Amino acid sequence: MRKFRNSLLLLVLAAVCLPQTATQLVTPEIRRVGDKLACKCGVCNNTVATCQMLECHYSLPARQKIATLQQQGRSDDTILASFVKESGISALSSPPAEGFNILGYLMPIIGIVAGLGAILLFLKKSKQYRIPATVPPLDNEMLARYKERIDKDMAKLE
Amino acid sequence: MENLGALALILAFCLSIYAIAGSIIGKWKNKPFLVLSAERAVYSIWFLVATAVGILIHALVTGDFRLSYVAQNTNHAMPWYYKVAAWWGGQAGSLMLWAFVLSTYSAVVVYQNRRKFREMMPYVVTVLMVVQAFFLMLIAFVISPFNVLMQGKGIVDVGDGRGLNPLLQYWTMIIHPPILYMGYVGFVVPFAFAMASLITKQPGDDWIFTTRRWAIVTWFFQTTGVLLGAGWAYAVLGWGGYWGWDAVENASLLPWLTSTSFLHSVLMQEKKGMMKVWNMVLVSATFFLCIFGTTLTRTGLVSSVHAFAQSPIGVYFFTFLAVGIAATVYLILDRLDYLKSESHMESVISRESSFLFNNLILLASCFSILWGTLFPVISEAVTGEKISVDGPFFNRVNIPIGLFLLFLTGVGPLIAWRRSSIESLKKAFFWPVAVSLALVAGLMISGMRHPYALMSFGLCLFVTATVFGEFFKGAKAIRAKNGMNFIAATVELTHRNTRRYGGYLVHMGVVAMFIGFTGAAFNLDSTVEAAKGDSFKLGRYELKVRDISDSENADYVSRKAAIDIFVGEKQIDTLYPERRFYKASQQGTSEVAIRRQLNEDLYLNFAGANDPKKAVVQAYVFPLVSWIWIGFWILFAGTIVCLTPSKIRMQYARTEVVGIARNYAEIQK
Repeated sequence: MRKFRNSLLLLVLAAVCLPQTATQLVTPEIRRVGDKLACKCGVCNNTVATCQMLECHYSLPARQKIATLQQQGRSDDTILASFVKESGISALSSPPAEGFNILGYLMPIIGIVAGLGAILLFLKKSKQYRIPATVPPLDNEMLARYKERIDKDMAKLE
Repeated sequence: MENLGALALILAFCLSIYAIAGSIIGKWKNKPFLVLSAERAVYSIWFLVATAVGILIHALVTGDFRLSYVAQNTNHAMPWYYKVAAWWGGQAGSLMLWAFVLSTYSAVVVYQNRRKFREMMPYVVTVLMVVQAFFLMLIAFVISPFNVLMQGKGIVDVGDGRGLNPLLQYWTMIIHPPILYMGYVGFVVPFAFAMASLITKQPGDDWIFTTRRWAIVTWFFQTTGVLLGAGWAYAVLGWGGYWGWDAVENASLLPWLTSTSFLHSVLMQEKKGMMKVWNMVLVSATFFLCIFGTTLTRTGLVSSVHAFAQSPIGVYFFTFLAVGIAATVYLILDRLDYLKSESHMESVISRESSFLFNNLILLASCFSILWGTLFPVISEAVTGEKISVDGPFFNRVNIPIGLFLLFLTGVGPLIAWRRSSIESLKKAFFWPVAVSLALVAGLMISGMRHPYALMSFGLCLFVTATVFGEFFKGAKAIRAKNGMNFIAATVELTHRNTRRYGGYLVHMGVVAMFIGFTGAAFNLDSTVEAAKGDSFKLGRYELKVRDISDSENADYVSRKAAIDIFVGEKQIDTLYPERRFYKASQQGTSEVAIRRQLNEDLYLNFAGANDPKKAVVQAYVFPLVSWIWIGFWILFAGTIVCLTPSKIRMQYARTEVVGIARNYAEIQK
């Protein structure tokens, strides 16, 4: 009897949980705005448009809100602003390129430029070691050493 | 039993301290017996950690619910293999996995080198044991997996546990963490040899030659671990993606990028005696990024789906990182005189130069990912305002970087070591460039307009052409000389220099993966709420819901849809997406149904049901995604070839400056 009661309880619980998922329809209009908004469910790193986590407590109501505001004729910027007003700047999927946040976008470029600069410096430094086009003739000892090395390498290849 | 397990860990910790002291004092005071004793302590540590692991697994499988760790991560309903996998399902167990893998590697290193590198080995053991002691300290004293549940002064058996997170109950999750850890932990070994080489002021490159295989094997484990995680996300999470730029995913990619960079740049050291400092930096960076990845998962510094609950161990990790990095930087700076290059770049148009750019691009990618991952924390600290840095940021930065890297993958084999003439470049580049441009033109004519996709497909063919060109030219020469048929000549060619041609195969694996990544530009999706008998269209498919049924077993209750797939009038398949609700953990999961094809995957997710007679179905078409997994198998084959000894022992004819150039260089100095 107890087992039956537990099973029944679980079934009821599951029946309540399974339908929890609201319809996850994403129209192109919702996707356009949702792509600019971060899903703040805390477990995924997607946007409101791309989050497909089951029963996501953030992206599903957010999509609903976008749809409602669009039906009211609000522009994309107004919709985004309403999310920012509600949840702060972290509502956006990427921070706006202003103030300190501009560093977020610049640093990867600075990193690449600095790396390129380092390579160019390295190449410039290496230039002084370049072998001249015309070189003095080899002495016999050097020549013998070269030949010995070539013979050794050729023997290995055979 | 739990007392025995805890005692084994404490003893192992003590022995690791002994091994450190024995190695240093033995070397310092010239007492070989102490050094040998320290090495034997390494074997004992493995035995003790293995004992503790055995006790924990026994507790997990038999359901000893007096242990807090067992109660949190298993329950009676779980199959035995998931109970074993629960070993790394929680914080303490996963740290124990770290300690166990490291103790195994350490024992192998000590055994392999019992008669070699006697100068370096005490320091190799010291570095290995410092890392070992750190992890053993955490699991022996800070968050032991052998803690029992207490009520008042009595031990409590809770009868059943919460069970492993249902999302983790999938076959790749059984092997993903151990393989990833084998990759992460494995890089401790090249790092230990590198540090030992610096400490003992080794004049040569012994550490490079010794750890070459370690580096390749551990890199392969890292790659496999990352891809298994991607495969799991694709097949389990129900959102159809394989990469979400999650903080912990990023953390796993960072050491992979630096280790890939190391595997390339180490060739410069082997071949030309160049980049010695750089290789030290790369191997150290890889090791510390591995620790950093582990830190991110455990400190709650950034929010992540992978993160364990916040715990007090963050401070230990940050201290370890700070001290370790400081010591390494000091050591490298102090030994700069021993790391001077033996030769110099002779031309900008050379293989060496392409390696430099390869390193730059890999590190730029690493830096941008690290920056993007940490920027929310930095920004919040500076401005006091929280921000989000999500997928779009990472894609914007890393797609161009990835494409340039793909370009370099094709360019590298076409440029000679030392220098290439413009004429030879024209000759080498003509056909690969011509066929890739022809492909891009063809794709544009057929209507494709996505710029990154066009570039990616063009570059994929460019790299393929260069790699096939390399095999073709080599095999043709062997066939001309030995009269073999072409396939035998190709095998012979590969066997003669397995690292080079295995490396080309690895590049082909990367090309296949890029084809798969590029397919994402053409994804289709649709979400519908459909009742039995309803149908809807997605791309060329028509999907008809034939049935929706409920079922139950001891572990979960489920609702499943049977969806017939039609192309035109013809039914080609039936897929069964399912929604489950796990009783013990009270969590819902989705069992997605995937029809995998080479050209595209049809992916169905039972997202939910607002009405018992209807199903909310998310349907996706993912073009070319299977090529990612095919790419892995090509990469796997390439790695095996790389690890196979060459038929001809390639003693790198380091382009040592033996004659005129040396004289000239000396004059220049």
